[in-house]
Amino acid sequence: MLNTMNKIHPLLVLIIRVLLGLIFIYASHDKILDPSKFARDISNYNVVPFGLENTVAIILPWLELVIGLGIVFGVCINGNVLICGGLLSLFIILISQAILRGYNIDCGCGLKDGEMVGLSKIIENFLFLGACYIVYQSKRRLLEFYPKSSL
Amino acid sequence: MNYQQQVTYIIATSILLGATYNGIRENGIPWIAKPIKKVDEATAIEQIVDEPSIREIDLGVAKVLHWKGTLFIDARAEEYLEDGFIPGAIANDDTEALSEEIESLVGFDKSFVIYCSDDDCGSSEDLAYELQDLGFNNILVFKGGWKTWKEAGLDVEYDE
Repeated sequence: MLNTMNKIHPLLVLIIRVLLGLIFIYASHDKILDPSKFARDISNYNVVPFGLENTVAIILPWLELVIGLGIVFGVCINGNVLICGGLLSLFIILISQAILRGYNIDCGCGLKDGEMVGLSKIIENFLFLGACYIVYQSKRRLLEFYPKSSL
Repeated sequence: MNYQQQVTYIIATSILLGATYNGIRENGIPWIAKPIKKVDEATAIEQIVDEPSIREIDLGVAKVLHWKGTLFIDARAEEYLEDGFIPGAIANDDTEALSEEIESLVGFDKSFVIYCSDDDCGSSEDLAYELQDLGFNNILVFKGGWKTWKEAGLDVEYDE
């Protein structure tokens, strides 16, 4: 599988990488500007205890921004993509449990205003997860500044 | 730099940026969320509030307030209103237009009730905070909302 990933044209990997990074930067924007709204969106999932939704709402959008910038500008790509994959897996679990519990809530994803939890969001997150996997496994990277990957 | 170091630096940077920005911004939020205060008696709602407040009420209080003629606002999206709504409730997906309507009906200081579909919906709270930002001071969120109201067999109204 690793060899297969390295057969993907580096330019295509770069495009996937930049798109993935831009999506994370865009998703962080509204959450950074309005953390109280994001905290309420988190709270609606009913999984974060002790009022910690505010703590998550203060930090998570900045994590998304840092990851997005790192992925786009080729800094610490492996670390950023690993966290990115972890976050996407977490989002898939959170959205799935909300659907199973019959919640009809704003997903708080930050990509489009008023998006509700649903199967389409799970598919979307799996696609992003696939993009993370391609970027992570592909070691022939263009515009990677620090640290450089070794083949 | 190995993966673990990268992950540690990225997370530490994000925590630092988030904490700094939240600390210096004008409308920063507390690190731990405070739960919305619950009101158990309808009479307590009529007391004048010293500062803008959003409080939570249950079905019992909602029933009394409805009987007393308190304004009810349905925070659900318009398509859900076809299933019915609490009699007399108003709704509008456009928050600006809705706030003008509320202002003309009850002004900024009199209490009104916002509800959405059930216990787990968040749109009533979201709307409450938006309306508070627009200057409304005495907002009540009916926890349980439409589902609880309907299950209790209370009157409902349908759009013609």
